[in-house]
Amino acid sequence: MEHMIEVSHVKRYYKVAKREQGMGNSIRHLFKRKYEIKRAVDDVSFTIKKGEIVGFIGPNGAGKSTTVKMLSGILYPDDGSVKIDGFIPYKQRKQYVKNIGVVFGQKSQLNWDLPLIESFELMRYIYKIPMDLYEENLHQFTELLDMEDFLYQPVRQLSLGQRMRGDIVAALLHSPKIVFFDEPTIGLDVVAKEKIRNFIRYMNQKNDTTIIFTTHDMQDIEKICERLIIIDSGKKIYDGSIQDIKNRYTSIKNIKLILEDGRKEMRTYDTSKKPMNQIMEEIFRENQVKDISICETEIDEIIRDIYEGSSRILSSEL
Amino acid sequence: MGELRIALQSLKMSIHTRLQYRVDSAVAALAVFIRESANIIVIYLALLKFDRINEWNVNEMLFLFSLLFLTYAFVVSLFADLRYFSDTIREGRFDRLMVRPRGLLFQLVLNNADIIASVGHGTLGIILFLVSAGRVGIQWNTGTVLYYTGTIIGGVLMQGGMFIIFSSLSFYFVETGSIRDIFYWNMRKFAGYPISIYPKVIQIIMIYIVPFAFVNYFPAQYLLRKPDMAQYPEIYMYLAPFAGIMIYFLAYLFWRFSVKRYKSTGN
Repeated sequence: MEHMIEVSHVKRYYKVAKREQGMGNSIRHLFKRKYEIKRAVDDVSFTIKKGEIVGFIGPNGAGKSTTVKMLSGILYPDDGSVKIDGFIPYKQRKQYVKNIGVVFGQKSQLNWDLPLIESFELMRYIYKIPMDLYEENLHQFTELLDMEDFLYQPVRQLSLGQRMRGDIVAALLHSPKIVFFDEPTIGLDVVAKEKIRNFIRYMNQKNDTTIIFTTHDMQDIEKICERLIIIDSGKKIYDGSIQDIKNRYTSIKNIKLILEDGRKEMRTYDTSKKPMNQIMEEIFRENQVKDISICETEIDEIIRDIYEGSSRILSSEL
Repeated sequence: MGELRIALQSLKMSIHTRLQYRVDSAVAALAVFIRESANIIVIYLALLKFDRINEWNVNEMLFLFSLLFLTYAFVVSLFADLRYFSDTIREGRFDRLMVRPRGLLFQLVLNNADIIASVGHGTLGIILFLVSAGRVGIQWNTGTVLYYTGTIIGGVLMQGGMFIIFSSLSFYFVETGSIRDIFYWNMRKFAGYPISIYPKVIQIIMIYIVPFAFVNYFPAQYLLRKPDMAQYPEIYMYLAPFAGIMIYFLAYLFWRFSVKRYKSTGN
């Protein structure tokens, strides 16, 4: 199948004024600044097929947002190229953005004082959405996201979860081929998160919408997407399926113990280095065990491990 | 056509927003009107003592003022969002505009239109016009009406252009409000009087740098023909309606250039 999104060797730098301590240096700083070049995105490449859902994760400051900005036509890359659906986003902005939807979890595009429906109307004109498509989408989305109750209430009176649903609808009314979600579930409760996840999955399945989203919530990743791209310090450190990354950790087991004297212990073992029966033997020989449970490594832990060690665990295999 | 629909929807939303707080809005509009009127009344009373300033009598001065208020009534609604443009950039709201398939400047026009200020300034402008226009000896015919209309449009575009230039500076510097205050608001205060009363430096600024002279002084001169016009090139009177269009166009070019830079530097 043809690639919807092609990103090759994209780099993006930014300059940071370097400050030095001391009076003399402060004065010198006024006249001649020393800059440090930071690499926000450093040689990242990937391709995404039509209809894929890709989760984009990385610690704060890893370069996720900068990458999304380059993909959505807001920023030029300093080097490398981006081609999406036949367009070069940052050069053909107006043409290109007709086909995309962007949801910024932290920046609402809704008018604070007015009911959602008024902001939606504005979208209808901005994207020249034909009336029948507009009505169909509006009806369907509001039903799926359970929004009928608050469509006519001023946005300022809505909860964060309701507002976010409004923002998602506003970004999708024109039936975009590609949707970027930048932290769509940030700060939401479990119910609201689940609604949004279901909706994203539904959009993808029904319309074959290509979806990229960034998040810090691993539940989002596990429940929505099959493919995961991890970036750290501007570099791509993982690109593959979630199952794959979990498989690499299947030999890592967390064993929770409750001892006779009431103490709780948590131990981590690698069964590829020491067989399970040997681990068990040791545990039972050395402790008076009241209760024991063996758990798989949670995706959260895996990701934390990857961030912390960055290349420690995976790089040898990549 | 599509553009007009968007503009109307933006205007409708701005009005609805204000109507959410009906009483507040009415009080605010009245407050703007009273504040601006108070300034005019003080000037009016002072002028009664002097009788004339550089051959301009009280009614002629009020006519000069009316142009300033009438044009600003449009500016404050059309270009309202540009007043806080540095916040728009700083808070990342500009990125939102960039992912919509429309002109960036166009999306800002009429957004959050300050209808209240428009009503306040507009009412005062109309009152000043009604009081003065009949008493300053203007022959109202097709020619003068056309010139007057053109000069209002030019004046709106001139000030809109200035707003666009100040806004574009936000792509380079974090805080630009003070630059705008110095150049726009201070110069606007000077523009209330015939510029011929000022030292040469200020006249030059008012004509060539922050060209408020083309918003009200030269247009008023075309209609009133006061003797102090002799010290300026006569063509400036005829240029007045076009100066605004030119400044607006230059401002637009500067804006385009600055947006390009934003794309390559980010914030």
